[in-house]
Amino acid sequence: MATITVLLPGEEVPVDQLPKARKGKLTLGPGLRHIAPSTILSTTTGSLYVDHKKSALWLEHDNGRYQPAVGDSVIAQVHHGGAESYACSLTPHTSFALLGQLAFEGANKKTRPQLKAGDLVYARVSRASKWEDTEIECFNSGTGKAEGMGPLKGGMLFDVSPSFARRLMMGTEKDGRSKGGVVVLEEVGEKVRFEVAVGRNGRVWVDSSSVRETLAVGRLVTQADEGKWNLEQQRKAVKKSLRDL
Amino acid sequence: MPREAEPSTNEQAFLLSALRENIRLDSRAFDAFRPIDLSFPGGPDEYGTAEVRIGKTRVLAKISAEVVAPYADRKFEGVFTIACELSPMGSAAFEVGRQDQSEILLSRLLEKTIRRSGALDTESLCIVAGSKCFHIRADIHVLDHDGNLMDASCLALVAALMHFRRPDVEIHGEEVTVFDVRERDPVRLAMQHQPFCVTTSYYDGGAIMLQDATLLEEQCRDGEIVISMNRFGEVCSIAKYGGTPVDGLSMLTCTNVALEKVKMLDKLVKDSLAADEKRRDAGGLMAELSAENDR
Repeated sequence: MATITVLLPGEEVPVDQLPKARKGKLTLGPGLRHIAPSTILSTTTGSLYVDHKKSALWLEHDNGRYQPAVGDSVIAQVHHGGAESYACSLTPHTSFALLGQLAFEGANKKTRPQLKAGDLVYARVSRASKWEDTEIECFNSGTGKAEGMGPLKGGMLFDVSPSFARRLMMGTEKDGRSKGGVVVLEEVGEKVRFEVAVGRNGRVWVDSSSVRETLAVGRLVTQADEGKWNLEQQRKAVKKSLRDL
Repeated sequence: MPREAEPSTNEQAFLLSALRENIRLDSRAFDAFRPIDLSFPGGPDEYGTAEVRIGKTRVLAKISAEVVAPYADRKFEGVFTIACELSPMGSAAFEVGRQDQSEILLSRLLEKTIRRSGALDTESLCIVAGSKCFHIRADIHVLDHDGNLMDASCLALVAALMHFRRPDVEIHGEEVTVFDVRERDPVRLAMQHQPFCVTTSYYDGGAIMLQDATLLEEQCRDGEIVISMNRFGEVCSIAKYGGTPVDGLSMLTCTNVALEKVKMLDKLVKDSLAADEKRRDAGGLMAELSAENDR
């Protein structure tokens, strides 16, 4: 079994942990920093992950709040509307992200969704930088298609940790194995019909035909996160909650 | 001024529709509390610290005592003050150095429940009339806020007061000797009764009533009723700050439920105090070392 290297802030990445590939560029992910000429330091606490094929390495950790990055799917809550854009909050008590009034599928000045304070939208981060406001959009600006994004009606929002949200969004391998090690949603989905949207900012939106089912799905997700359930525990919990429904 | 982030309209609507179907988001019964954990951190000589966790809400109460001169108009009484602090550690909505509405309400209610109901016998804190008395200070720190701060702080405060021991004193005329904990076993405070707060949140104009609401449930409620009483059913205060009106009958049901909860809280405090005593009384010598008089 491969051992996991845990790094503390300021620690050097051991040389034998670096990707084996001699060719190409080395890619550093979150939590790592390169100091010329040949030192790689960690900037946070986390466990080191190495992808030898892509010659990439990065740190993973559970704690911390969500930092917007371009391309992330997020669930944002409208705080107030402006002349050109809505101010939305991705995480509480941080500065707002801007959602253009026309950043929806097929929206023009006449036909655009009227959002009120407190409404939820599923959106993608289109611009994120340290110095400007984060911008989000509810359509693919290249194709003009919604691609599943837009206002979220009804349903319930559940909070999970950002790292768990990421694991939920990893998808599955070709053989159907979950990459992130989360199978709750797939397992429940075999028996119960529901709609789900996972935001990288640690929010999961669930909607179904009944309150009971929505709650059961939401509870399974939050408990799997808080209890750090493995696959076996997840399957067991799903079976139990399906019996109770 | 920062405020607690408002829940989205989806969450509010879902919570209400769930409550109308008799479901709470964490699958509790309407009158059930979240699991309560009461502990007394500190070494064998440290008394008067109590930590309460109700679900994710976490409150720490610390009691301290010092010798001061009593107030000129109350020569035979000691001084008892309660200080509440909502620091940003508890929630990002709390700000340092600025009192917000909830903080004022919290400290006023604790004041009413504990101090004005005479839970602590302040006359027993007098050392020399008119010149020396004990000043008992209670500090409440909110470490984590997930609703129901009132009940948690009140529980922590009462538990800490019951756990606290003040240093023993000896009086020869005008001369007072205060003994260190290591010299003489410290003395318990004289409590006359133990009042507890029980908060009821109501929805739909009083048709739905909940005990021990979480933060989300608190943000969606129509109003709250805080009832403080002791285990004998003697009501110390009923507080309802704004919100929609409720009829008298539901107020009565509230009080009945509160009594049940107060009995539960009272038992919890007594049990935890007994367990803590056992833990501290390692060699079984406590009874021999005690300087307390039988009354």
